[in-house]
Amino acid sequence: MAVADDYGRDALDFIEDLDRVTTASAAMDAMEEAFGRFGFRTLIVTGLPNPEQRFEQVVLAKRWPAEWFKLYTANDYIRVDPVARQCRRSYNPFEWSEAPFNRENDKRALEVMNRASDFNMSNGFIIPVHGENARDACVSLGGMHLDLNRRSKPALHLMAMYGFERVRKLLAPQTLTQTRLTPREREVLVWAAQGKSAWDIGGILGIAQRTAEEHLAAAGRKLRASNRVHAVAIAIRDRIIEP
Amino acid sequence: MIHIITALNRHLYEARLEELFRLRHEIFVGERGWKALEKPDGREIDDYDNTDSVYFVAIDDDRIVGGHRLYPTTKPTMLGDVFPHLAAVRGVPEDEATWEWSRYFVVKGKRDGKLNLALLAAVQELCLEEGIAEISAVMETWWLPRFQQTGFTVRPLGLPALVNNEWTMAGIIEISAETLAHVKNAAGIHGSVLVRRGPQRPLIDRTLVMVHRATRAGA
Repeated sequence: MAVADDYGRDALDFIEDLDRVTTASAAMDAMEEAFGRFGFRTLIVTGLPNPEQRFEQVVLAKRWPAEWFKLYTANDYIRVDPVARQCRRSYNPFEWSEAPFNRENDKRALEVMNRASDFNMSNGFIIPVHGENARDACVSLGGMHLDLNRRSKPALHLMAMYGFERVRKLLAPQTLTQTRLTPREREVLVWAAQGKSAWDIGGILGIAQRTAEEHLAAAGRKLRASNRVHAVAIAIRDRIIEP
Repeated sequence: MIHIITALNRHLYEARLEELFRLRHEIFVGERGWKALEKPDGREIDDYDNTDSVYFVAIDDDRIVGGHRLYPTTKPTMLGDVFPHLAAVRGVPEDEATWEWSRYFVVKGKRDGKLNLALLAAVQELCLEEGIAEISAVMETWWLPRFQQTGFTVRPLGLPALVNNEWTMAGIIEISAETLAHVKNAAGIHGSVLVRRGPQRPLIDRTLVMVHRATRAGA
């Protein structure tokens, strides 16, 4: 019978070993093996998409049944999945069964949960990860016969957070942080959000109007905005600037 | 700019320290709800506020807008006294070159990122200057990805546990020139973020460190 100390030592050893893997795939292998010992059979390391993004765009790595992923994305289940919804609201890890939804009224949520059970994806544990710029992400683990208790959960929590970071770091730099603006780009957006023109901003920051325009354009491109107003709206929505 | 306050120069900052303790009370007791820290006089002062403490205080427009604190692990620390269970796996650190980092805060309205990055750069910069190799911290787990995504290396000391109903862990953050460069780059900061006024003295007695390490190596 595993003792709290064993959970602790194993978890910290796993985390130390993670530092030695050199590919995201190897990190996922290590995670699969480690989480497998708790009964987990599926694993996904992913961001949570904003309204403009598709789920597939923000998934970092996954070990999911292929058919389930196809179904999940085709039906855009991420928008109605109660687990994803709860993940955005919570810093704390939770079991999938703890994600609230209304069985009577929320038909789409019920649909996700029902289809999931077809793939043995009914039981699981999810660890939210909220990074810089309050980017929402998670590591979600699924399986049927799980070693989930007061002592194993903190171990899973810590392992998942480090697993997330290792995968994130090993993948191409521009994945979750693809909307990272430079400090100057952020600055001009902050002034634009207050109604200042490029000419005004130039005066305020002591730069040429054209330079301010270039910063605004660069920010707009990075945010995939159609125009300056759109760029400001996206920046506020994604909490890149404060309103 | 981030001012460094120690026993040696605190006479230059008495009013600021008062402001700091009151602000800490507003934020940690008032906003975060850490009732255990509540004090009848509204000044949040604990067992690790004394002549060994090193305060980082960010001042803008003549008021404190953020800060944190370092404390030597060669003295009794919060981790050792209050949260040793968080270090159950790797143990509570006790070393001249390891300091405990705590009371990190940014005032409302300034939580947009740049000040935060400056505060993170400050702790790296000061520790590099002073030869502090790593800092221990008790932190809510939601800090971990934020630190990591800013380029900090955090080693856990044990498993997380609930503290004040929030998942909390103890970790050791590595101090390195590389990390400092990473943070400064992200923040668009060039040059030092520190202001060190008045008398200074090294925070670590280097001869002690060398003797201690030689002794350990021989043991």
